[in-house]
Amino acid sequence: MISAIQNPRIQFLFQCRHQFNFPPKSRHFHRSTILLNSASSSSQVLTEKTLTSTSPPTSEILTIRKSLLSRERKAVEIAEEYLNRLRLTEPTIKSFLHVSENVMKEAEELDLKIERNEELGVLAGVLIGVKDNICTVDMPSTGGSRILQGYRPAYDATAVKKLKQSGAILVGKTNMDEFGMGSTTEGSGFQVTANPWDVSRVPGGSSGGSAAAVSARQCVAALGSDTGGSVRQPASFCGVVGMKPTYGRVSRFGLMAYASSLDVIGCFGSSVADTAILLEAISGHDIFDATSSKREVPSFASQFISTELLESKPLKGLRVGIIGETLGDGVNKPVVSTIKDAALHLEELGCTVSEVSLPSFSLGLPAYYILASSESSSNLSRYDGVRYGNQAAAEELNSLYSDSRCNGFGPEVKMRILMGTYALSAGYYDAYYKRAQQVRTLVQKSFKDALRENDILISPAAPSAAYKMGEKKNDPLAMYAGDIMTVNVNLAGLPALVLPCGFVEGGPAGLPIGLQMIGGQFDEGKLLRVGHIFEQTLQGCRFIPPLVA
Amino acid sequence: MYANAVIRCRPSLHHHYQQHKSLIWFSQQQQQLTSSNANKPRNFSAQSSILPPPDVSRLAQTARISLTPNEVEEFAPKIRQVIDWFGQLQAVDLQSIEPALRADTEGDNLRHDVPETFGNREAILSAVPSYQEPYIKVPKILNKE
Repeated sequence: MISAIQNPRIQFLFQCRHQFNFPPKSRHFHRSTILLNSASSSSQVLTEKTLTSTSPPTSEILTIRKSLLSRERKAVEIAEEYLNRLRLTEPTIKSFLHVSENVMKEAEELDLKIERNEELGVLAGVLIGVKDNICTVDMPSTGGSRILQGYRPAYDATAVKKLKQSGAILVGKTNMDEFGMGSTTEGSGFQVTANPWDVSRVPGGSSGGSAAAVSARQCVAALGSDTGGSVRQPASFCGVVGMKPTYGRVSRFGLMAYASSLDVIGCFGSSVADTAILLEAISGHDIFDATSSKREVPSFASQFISTELLESKPLKGLRVGIIGETLGDGVNKPVVSTIKDAALHLEELGCTVSEVSLPSFSLGLPAYYILASSESSSNLSRYDGVRYGNQAAAEELNSLYSDSRCNGFGPEVKMRILMGTYALSAGYYDAYYKRAQQVRTLVQKSFKDALRENDILISPAAPSAAYKMGEKKNDPLAMYAGDIMTVNVNLAGLPALVLPCGFVEGGPAGLPIGLQMIGGQFDEGKLLRVGHIFEQTLQGCRFIPPLVA
Repeated sequence: MYANAVIRCRPSLHHHYQQHKSLIWFSQQQQQLTSSNANKPRNFSAQSSILPPPDVSRLAQTARISLTPNEVEEFAPKIRQVIDWFGQLQAVDLQSIEPALRADTEGDNLRHDVPETFGNREAILSAVPSYQEPYIKVPKILNKE
């Protein structure tokens, strides 16, 4: 493994440009799954993958399901394997704020169910991490904030309820920037998570705990949330697949609100297939979220069963627009060339790639920060220490509010609330919030235009690879600039998939780079289908970090 | 319609600024008295914009967050920097553009407006830091203000 990616960049280029062979039929998703099932444990699967460093990622979820149904492995064995790896890596990675005490018990119950030949949910025996701002009734949910330290919600978020109904085993709650405000997970009120590719670097954020946990194989898949890139940027930094669904695809009930007009729950997996299965499990209308769509949820993963990969140009005719504004100044050069290589790969698969321009692109960033901080100043007013959370001792009510909030919130949250308070002050609404909403209209329109001429749009997921801890901690504008690739997608409410597409130099084994694919409203199916083919045909890249390889 | 609204509001914002000038000056004087490091001239690069720059202490009061003098000092330049940066939207011509509340969601998803009993009342109440059946207890609400 180490030798295979000693110089991942060169090898990647070499394999992509000069050794571009379409995969043999056995690479087809389902066949490779069956092949891998003959391995007696998934740690052996990892070894096997390590030896053949170019084999594409397989669905861990389907592998687990197969081995449970065939009685090859017990749920407790699978759970133990993940928990062992978690215990081993957690002191270094620190991706969890809480690890469930019930994992083994739930796995035992599942084994009994299997013995009784009961029907199994699609996520039976699959260990899933949940970002800490998503409410869980039997585990603390703090949103990464001291103000909610020890808080246990009285209900499960709808997404969590659906996971449980699908048979998933929840491993624990993952670390995050406080209430989602940050891009490094350094803004957590509790601990700093490390990037499994280089532990001196950040995992990205705000869903850094979820991305690092999936990357380090501490769990099979994870839920995150994405207000301005909080699933996609950490997915890119940690070399995993991240999906931000269309606004309204997944219920937000039980997600701690940051900026309600932008927030979505998203998913992480180590393959596109796992991400698709997880997304399907949590999607759909919910009476407790009026913004959740009544659209039918397609069977995302089953769209992969097609003969497309048997053709030499499986994506023939797909029009791909590469967003010109995302490859210019301020974007790390090696990142740009990795994305251009990815575009080349799409061309090899039969796509026509052309450059598109989104004229309002750069306005999206300040507009996003106005909207997000304004909405957060309103949403976070609920944390006053009266009904839940930590309460400061005070003589009168106003100081109870102010002191509880002073003690409970970290500096970034305080600053964003204050900025939002400013932008929403009487008389300023037209100058800030309304203007930002007008920019949102422009952004929506420019995406619509670009997606009329293209089936999908592509860009980097972030302007750089994972950077060193502390590097941007004291410079808010430098930190915010890192979100330029992702915020516009939230303003438009569109779905976007990020998947690892190559490496740049850095750390002991190179640093992964994520390709962002953006689709039309509710077009997750297309993104996942294209992403799956991209991933299965990408040569010479293995996205398992040195820590667990 | 929106264009008119923008034009109409400008004079009132000017008026607002006039009113605020004295407040800002006052709070600066206060800071000079309370903070040894407050004699540094403040950077008012937002002055080109028509809106007064943020006064962090006042904002903190409005947002009900008590800040230490150190926090005020640390946050003020950062918040000003970001607000200045927000200001770039003032220069964009958006006159005929409708504001968007959020991404289009296909409407009519509201549930019926009928009360439902929440099943896990015990858990909700056990999260209350100070509870005295059947009340949530807080310190006195009236103060001298």
